[in-house]
Amino acid sequence: MPDAPPAPPPFRRTLTRVLLVQLAALAALAWLQRAFTP
Amino acid sequence: MHWLNWVVVVAYLGYVGVDGLRRTRGTRDLEGYLLAGRSLPWWAVGLSVMATQLSAVTMIGTTGQGAVDGLRFVQFYFGLPLAMVILGVTLVPFLHGARVYTAYEYLERRFDARTRTLTALLFLLSRGMSCGTIIAAPAVVFAAVFGWPLPWCVALIGVPTVLYTIVGGVQAVTWADVKQMVLIVVAVTGVVAVLLWRIPASPAEALHVAGAAGRLRAFDFTPSLTNTYTFWSGLIGGAFLMLSYFGTDQSQVQRYLAARSVGEARTSLLVSAYWKIPLQAAILMIGVLVFVFYQFREPPLYFNPADDARVRAAAPAEYSALGTRYDAAWRARRDAAVALARVPEAPDAVAAFRTRDSAVTAVRTDALAAAGRAAGSDKPAKDVNYIIPHVVTRELPIGLAGLFIAGVMAAAMAAVAAELNSLAAASVIDLYRRWVRPEAPDAHYLGASRVATAAWGVFACVVATYAATLGSLIEVVNRFGSFFYGSILGVFFLAMLPRARAAGAFAGLLAGMAAVAAVNFGAPGVSFLWHNVVGTVTVLAVGSLVSLAGGRGGDVGADRPTAGQAAG
Repeated sequence: MPDAPPAPPPFRRTLTRVLLVQLAALAALAWLQRAFTP
Repeated sequence: MHWLNWVVVVAYLGYVGVDGLRRTRGTRDLEGYLLAGRSLPWWAVGLSVMATQLSAVTMIGTTGQGAVDGLRFVQFYFGLPLAMVILGVTLVPFLHGARVYTAYEYLERRFDARTRTLTALLFLLSRGMSCGTIIAAPAVVFAAVFGWPLPWCVALIGVPTVLYTIVGGVQAVTWADVKQMVLIVVAVTGVVAVLLWRIPASPAEALHVAGAAGRLRAFDFTPSLTNTYTFWSGLIGGAFLMLSYFGTDQSQVQRYLAARSVGEARTSLLVSAYWKIPLQAAILMIGVLVFVFYQFREPPLYFNPADDARVRAAAPAEYSALGTRYDAAWRARRDAAVALARVPEAPDAVAAFRTRDSAVTAVRTDALAAAGRAAGSDKPAKDVNYIIPHVVTRELPIGLAGLFIAGVMAAAMAAVAAELNSLAAASVIDLYRRWVRPEAPDAHYLGASRVATAAWGVFACVVATYAATLGSLIEVVNRFGSFFYGSILGVFFLAMLPRARAAGAFAGLLAGMAAVAAVNFGAPGVSFLWHNVVGTVTVLAVGSLVSLAGGRGGDVGADRPTAGQAAG
């Protein structure tokens, strides 16, 4: 039998990570704008 | 361009074609052909969802937009993660649990045949045309940059895509999407790295120059309905647009209907929720870095070689004068940019740079107006889509240029393949099997799906070849498309309300489209991102009222999935 493919991670955990990654992305964009726009 | 770059492009096209042909296993029945036997892993579906949404327009148009307008466009995607989370707990469980082939099929089970048929027809009309424009955008640029005949450029992108989609169905489409997504990420990362390396300033200095020109302004909190890209239109209007697109457009729904389970389907959507904003920011950043790159190296007056040739031939004296003005303006701006990079905090340096940058922009505006006149138009020429092709063919190292062009083709092919596959599904399942031949064997519908894929492929290539002359027609169809996108989303949300009835859904759908049309014509300044909000809210309001007024008769027995079905 072939190896079982990876199961998806639990939805709630993924959701938390999604929110954290989005906050990090928005924070990075905000930093770019504030730090380099005179 | 160096021949090795073409080797990279041809090798990639060959690889995708051959691999597509290998993926014919499991496509011997209709469910295998259209939904891969509902067997695909979440990560492959997730990458396929992203690849479908990212077309060649993103690779060449959005990067160009980054160069002239900065990071502002990224706000368009702020609602996407929110939309994906909402879909993960609402429509995805319902659609996946209903075991349907198309999103519209579900609407007949829940409401009636006319709602299903109308939504399917609206999808076929708008997506059939947009499929042509997706091929046309890169084909027109390739034709201008490389000097090839347009039909050849259309064929180069269209023919391999149509072939692997006909033969391999959704299996070929999904696995080609996975490769295409990897290629696109590698190409985008490579170009960012090369540009940073080639700019004769440190990354911090480069960012100060970009910031002084306003290219790093990613947030605009202005509460305006007419300004297309603001934080609010992106977060709210963008969320509704993404809900409509990912929740009700068959070209996306079919991706996650092919997932193994509801859990895998919704996790696949979260892949986009994770990566869309960072990827889009990286793509726009390419444009911003190109802008900085051309502070230190003189860009051409025209990025589109056809504009250059036209003005040179039609108005040689004007061409020469524009060239002289441009040269002087650019040199002055370069000196100001060098001074700014050295002392980024000095207000004088910032002001001087901005003045010089405006002068360069003014010459370019005059030059594009001259190009428009030379082409017999009273509108200025646009060359935003030609900025990145110019950089790729002139400035990137051998190999990476080929990789980027293969990436542009990959993006076009991924988007077109998914659309052809979904157009075939809606044509066969929602029209042919529903109205023409309801009781044929499975093999018959499988053959019909292949024929439908081929027919839509030919249609898309013809539209792409004549896109320039069909311009206004395509615009009409796109505008028409924006009338019903939010309304269809409203119908799907209505389907989740226990008291909603078929009459309410159909009346709501018509009212929603009419409301969007009224906003469009009555207040043409309102950004299209708000149209989806208007459509969805109108359908929910009118649909609920008509359903309640109609009482408990009619279609009470219609198949509304229960929570148990939805979870299964």
